[in-house]
Amino acid sequence: MSQINTNAILDASGGTTTSINGYTPTASNMAGRNRIINGDMRIDQRNAGASVTGNSVYSVDRFYQVNNVVGCTYSVQQDSSAPQGFTNSLKVTITAAASPVGNTQVSFRQYIEGFNTADLNWGTANAKTVTLSFWVKSSLTGTFGGAISNNAFDRLYAYEYTINSANTWEYKTVTIAGDTTGTWETGNSAGMRVYFGLGATNYSKAAGVWGSAFAVQSTGSVDLCATNGATWQITGVQLEAGSVATPFEHRQYGQELALCQRYYQRTKRTGDATTCIGNGHIYNSLTAYSVYNFKQTMRSAPTGNASASSDLGILSAGANYVSSSTHFQAANEDQIEIVLSGLSGAPTGNGGWVRLQTNNSWIDFSAEL
Amino acid sequence: MYKLVNDCVDGHPACIKRLSDNAFIPFDPANTDYQVYLEWVAEGNTPEPADPVE
Repeated sequence: MSQINTNAILDASGGTTTSINGYTPTASNMAGRNRIINGDMRIDQRNAGASVTGNSVYSVDRFYQVNNVVGCTYSVQQDSSAPQGFTNSLKVTITAAASPVGNTQVSFRQYIEGFNTADLNWGTANAKTVTLSFWVKSSLTGTFGGAISNNAFDRLYAYEYTINSANTWEYKTVTIAGDTTGTWETGNSAGMRVYFGLGATNYSKAAGVWGSAFAVQSTGSVDLCATNGATWQITGVQLEAGSVATPFEHRQYGQELALCQRYYQRTKRTGDATTCIGNGHIYNSLTAYSVYNFKQTMRSAPTGNASASSDLGILSAGANYVSSSTHFQAANEDQIEIVLSGLSGAPTGNGGWVRLQTNNSWIDFSAEL
Repeated sequence: MYKLVNDCVDGHPACIKRLSDNAFIPFDPANTDYQVYLEWVAEGNTPEPADPVE
């Protein structure tokens, strides 16, 4: 055994790529360096692996998809195909092809909260360089594009990456010099928008330069939406400070789920056991109230929803009273009131358990960016 | 399309119901669904009135 006592280990090239046992201990190589949440596509609270096809909807947690190209349809879902070291990816399959016309697009994006990008100092002379890295696979080859924008959509940078072999996982890195102008939010609004373009005409721009025109991909990059049956998969998405892509930051499942739940959380009844979601108070024969505490403090007061009004009820004094009109009110970042209305003959003044009544019923709360 | 919802106790506005998916939106400027609602109102639209308190 030998021991080295030294004050510094420096990269021989003068850069920041010195490695120890394969890891690069640069300033950015720390826990929390990945600004992307659910970059390995493991968390899918809304769809539990089922495919989605809509425009302006979420697939896996935190990844939002837009498809307003007339005539183009697609299927998007969490997939178990992934490169070594990953268990999931996000898979897009074009089920009806059309070329993008005018201000239309097919794209995937994640909006990163300003609190998590503030240290990058974008919009100042001290703006830091960032590196985007990911694994990607497609049935098509060629130059694909994406973009980064600010919250106001008036500072845009398009990037490119090349897929060399069809249907083969490839690792890509893109380094972007930070924007020294524009307004980049640093609070609980969107600090940065990261796009992966799969089809756009007007919403494309030259790669490698900052500008003000909105874009989701680079000019001339592949329009996946124009090829019927084409597929595109991605996982291991990481955005970090610095000019070097470090290994993907694998967070524990519970950590990743908690990060997702700041923006969206669902409580679901599974199996036959009725799920109690809180204690309630019967205000009068028609109405009961309950307070629901969120699993994580949310980004903002969230929008609330339920699988159906009649999926909630209150059990009191041995009898069950089913709601015919449920709503959510008085929300803040930590809790919300659940109001069960249209009860029948509920015992005024009693307490009770507010429950999800039917299998697979749910309540959810969204504070997405 | 949207509809106002009043609190069952005091009758004050409690939230906004989005009729397309029956979601309930809080009056929070940081909530992006509320921001979309405000844009919709700014375009000259009016939400449906709340039901009377039972």
